[in-house]
Amino acid sequence: MKVNIKHWHGVATWHWQTQNDELCGICRVPFDGHCPSCRYPGDTCPLILGKGCSHNFHLHCILKWLEQSSSKGLCPMCRQIFTATVLEGVGAPDEIAQLQELENSHRVAREQAEVGDAYELPNDVL
Amino acid sequence: MSTPAKRRLMRDFKRIQLDAPSGVSASPVPDNVMYWNAVIIGPADTPFEDGTFRLAMQFDEQYPNKPPLVKFLSTMFHPNVYATGELCLDILQNRWSPTYDVSSILTSIQSLLNDPNISSPANVEAANLYKDHRSQYVKRVRETVENSWNEDDSDEDEDGEDEEDDDE
Ligand SMILES: [Zn+2]
Ligand SMILES: [Zn+2]
Ligand SMILES: [Zn+2]
Repeated sequence: MKVNIKHWHGVATWHWQTQNDELCGICRVPFDGHCPSCRYPGDTCPLILGKGCSHNFHLHCILKWLEQSSSKGLCPMCRQIFTATVLEGVGAPDEIAQLQELENSHRVAREQAEVGDAYELPNDVL
Repeated sequence: MSTPAKRRLMRDFKRIQLDAPSGVSASPVPDNVMYWNAVIIGPADTPFEDGTFRLAMQFDEQYPNKPPLVKFLSTMFHPNVYATGELCLDILQNRWSPTYDVSSILTSIQSLLNDPNISSPANVEAANLYKDHRSQYVKRVRETVENSWNEDDSDEDEDGEDEEDDDE
């Protein structure tokens, strides 16, 4: 029997390389899925890896949390100061810049509050 | 219309249906996933044992980045519950985290019942009795437990109808 291949569809699967948790702690959607604000998973809705701690979130989920002044710039899981690991080519540049800006503004707020001593410091872990 | 908050609440609902922590139950009212009714059973071996305490939870579009408003509908006698039924609980205020969901909120409230925070009382009388006259405190709590059973019988159906009416 002779087979002529006229056309073919390539199919591939992918996963984000994460170590421990498989759900985003904020939206509770698996990391391989997309956050509740997006329609498609993948490069447009990337994962952000915590630098100080090992907690990961969808970029859009951690952005919305850090936009709250009540977040105090802390990781929602462990309440340490959240700092994103910035990987080249991950996330839209303007969104990554926004994330870093938020990290910065929380840092400034912390420094100012240290004088007034009113800010809850991250060593106050559960 | 589906929004991020509503999608998250549907996940919360799925989770509490599949894997409810013992002694708590909750579900959104018909046609409004932003408003939930919940019941916490008083933990065994505490003065609250066997109470069926009803709560209302009101979420907004900022959830889970902002906590819901939670209040007891049942009459409570507890150092951290105001006469209005509102709670003084840090995780519902300044220690909120967007990783909490309906299950974990209710579990925290359940453990608050027998582990009150006396340093910042919402009900001063309850706090004082708890500290200095424990047997009187227990007596007052037991009264609310018995009340909670009666409320359940008389109010529940009416409430259900009211809420359905509101939504339509
Ligand atoms: Zn997420
Ligand atoms: Zn997204
Ligand atoms: Zn963390």
